[in-house]
Amino acid sequence: MTTSLNQHLWLGLSRVLRSHWLHPLNDADAWERLRVWMNPMWSRRDYPARVLDIIDETPDTRSFVLKPTARWPGHRAGQHVVVQVEINGRRVHRSFSLSSAPTPDRRLRITVKRQPGARVSGWLHEHVRIGDVLRLSAPTGRFAPAEGAAPLLLLSAGSGITPLMAVVEELHRRGDPRAIVFVHCCRTPTDFIFADRLRVLAAEWPNFELRVHYSASAGRFDVRQLSVLLHCQTLVCGPRALTQNVETLFLAAGVKDQVRSESYSGRVLPQGDATQESFGVHCSDTEQVFTARGDTSLLEAAEAAGLKPAHGCRIGICKTCQCTKRSGTALNLRTGEISSEPNELIQLCISVARSPLELAL
Amino acid sequence: MNDQKLSQYPALPPGSTMLKTKLTPQQLDQFQAELDALRSEVAADLGERDATHIRSVVREVRLNAVVGRGLLMFGFDPISFIVGVCALARAKILENMEVGHNVLHGQYDWMGDPTLNSQKYEWDIVCDSGHWRRTHNFEHHSYTNILGQDDDYGYGLLRMTGDQKWTWRTLLQPIWYALLAIGFQWGVAIQDLKLGRWFKGRMPKGELAERAAPFLKKARSQLYKDYVLFPLLAFWNFPRVLLGNALANLIRNLWTNAIIFCGHFTADAQVFTKAEVAGETRGGWYLRQIQGSSNLEGGRWFHLLTGHLSHQIEHHLFPDIPAPRYAEMAPRVRDICARYGIHYNSAGFWRQYGTVLWRILKYALPVERRPRLVDA
Repeated sequence: MTTSLNQHLWLGLSRVLRSHWLHPLNDADAWERLRVWMNPMWSRRDYPARVLDIIDETPDTRSFVLKPTARWPGHRAGQHVVVQVEINGRRVHRSFSLSSAPTPDRRLRITVKRQPGARVSGWLHEHVRIGDVLRLSAPTGRFAPAEGAAPLLLLSAGSGITPLMAVVEELHRRGDPRAIVFVHCCRTPTDFIFADRLRVLAAEWPNFELRVHYSASAGRFDVRQLSVLLHCQTLVCGPRALTQNVETLFLAAGVKDQVRSESYSGRVLPQGDATQESFGVHCSDTEQVFTARGDTSLLEAAEAAGLKPAHGCRIGICKTCQCTKRSGTALNLRTGEISSEPNELIQLCISVARSPLELAL
Repeated sequence: MNDQKLSQYPALPPGSTMLKTKLTPQQLDQFQAELDALRSEVAADLGERDATHIRSVVREVRLNAVVGRGLLMFGFDPISFIVGVCALARAKILENMEVGHNVLHGQYDWMGDPTLNSQKYEWDIVCDSGHWRRTHNFEHHSYTNILGQDDDYGYGLLRMTGDQKWTWRTLLQPIWYALLAIGFQWGVAIQDLKLGRWFKGRMPKGELAERAAPFLKKARSQLYKDYVLFPLLAFWNFPRVLLGNALANLIRNLWTNAIIFCGHFTADAQVFTKAEVAGETRGGWYLRQIQGSSNLEGGRWFHLLTGHLSHQIEHHLFPDIPAPRYAEMAPRVRDICARYGIHYNSAGFWRQYGTVLWRILKYALPVERRPRLVDA
């Protein structure tokens, strides 16, 4: 009774505190800025997490052990978070799988492979030190093995091992009785992320079998040679080429529901010097689609297709037509800048498509 | 404009066309390429420094507002009243000029910070930011100083050039100007209502209500904040807070008005006709921005308090480049102008503002009335 009364009082009070009649005293942005300025762990937006430890897994891969605040909602093995970092004044967001299963001490781990030319992974490797604070989103994703008695196949390539490591830890923690085959593919033994941990598990856990394919010595990994493939509940994580291959095989065998996959795709690079080519543009907010030629501004192309995006000067000055490009590559005709990273702002009136695009329109 | 057309005009005031440099199409292209290159160079260099600057100004705005409002609320002596008013006025000036105006131009959109995003920011002034983006970012910055298209030229109230129509009420324009300066935030707030069209009955029914809705909402919240909420929180001190807030708003109005009028109404700032700008290239647009704008010279603090509109020329050339960069770009722009023989209009504040006030007085009289007239 008292708790519910307390709850009511608390809810009422917080509603009063957030009322627009008190603005600007309750300006949420200002209070957030003040809290973060005093201590980044006091942020009430996103989920701040302190870096407790940094582990070199391979020459180009590092794990960051993180301790989030009490507000952290908890995660399930196989989920990922969006990490927000600020690089030279610019906020950038990237998804990383959590490579650890939930533990009682509420520590998290993300494992980052340094990709040549990639801004965020390189920055995390170079700039993050023990004691720093990273900003995480809430965990998302439903990448986890199905319940049941069928044996499990975990298949990963390269840094695709990260969510599967969390899955393996979770299966081991709860003593899952199923037979588990873990197949991992990487270039050389030094590129094998989590090698020691997985070997220890394989030695002490009878129903866990580890197989590693080194492509530098054994050649390209061919998923069709995996005899257990279609007989197991399968989780696959790696480059899109691998996951698509596996999905196609399961689809052909009529057992598509036995596979779950997660893939990472790099940047969508421009497809040639395509001024004459046409590209599909998907407006994800309104679910409309139009075609844009490589030599026509996106604004003109959208208008020609009957759409009416907000616009003003049409010469790149006023930014009325600015919108977020979720994916794809666009060229700014005024500055010559190429935008190929996801979630960058582009001005429709002076931008042309250089690949299929997804816009927040 | 060809010679035959030019001859239809009565004698032009000396200087006014001399200051309009004409470039050949080739020169104009080259001129455009040089300014484009300067823009690209600075845009590629944006980073940490600019982010730190704008965040520190936001912090300063909040600190000044807290100190100013605190002194007004809890003080009881005239000194804390004066300091409180100044701090609050400073907060409002910095917020409107260096943060609001510049953020709304999209100068900091590249940071990816939602609190500094041009489409989301709402500023501490009665002008709705959506209205501002249309009347200022689009209309004023695209059609700068084109008579009949740039409503900022005289605000539909003042005759600042002989090309604008003179009527008997123009005689009283020094008074109109004083009223506009005192209530400047209200002047810009109602700009997008297009009351001129409404008075003449040229606006479809219902359009005014639609246009006024965001303005009324914004005005209500601003009036409530400064004249209800904060005075009430001060209990018995409420008259003091009420008066202090009104004075802070007045100081901000007078200051922003003076700075903004120096941007396009100084003696040498040129006006353009629709015919003149037909078929204008980006180089031509750059040229018009330079010839229609004027700079103010001063120290670092002066530039900051003007939101770097003291570099009006650079701002009009590169409206989406973070404003503190204008100071670095100015010598290069000046050098480019010198090489193309383009007049670069720059002087101290009092000198420039003096010429603005002189124009207001001079054109109140029926001088330089020309055949092709545009409504004042």
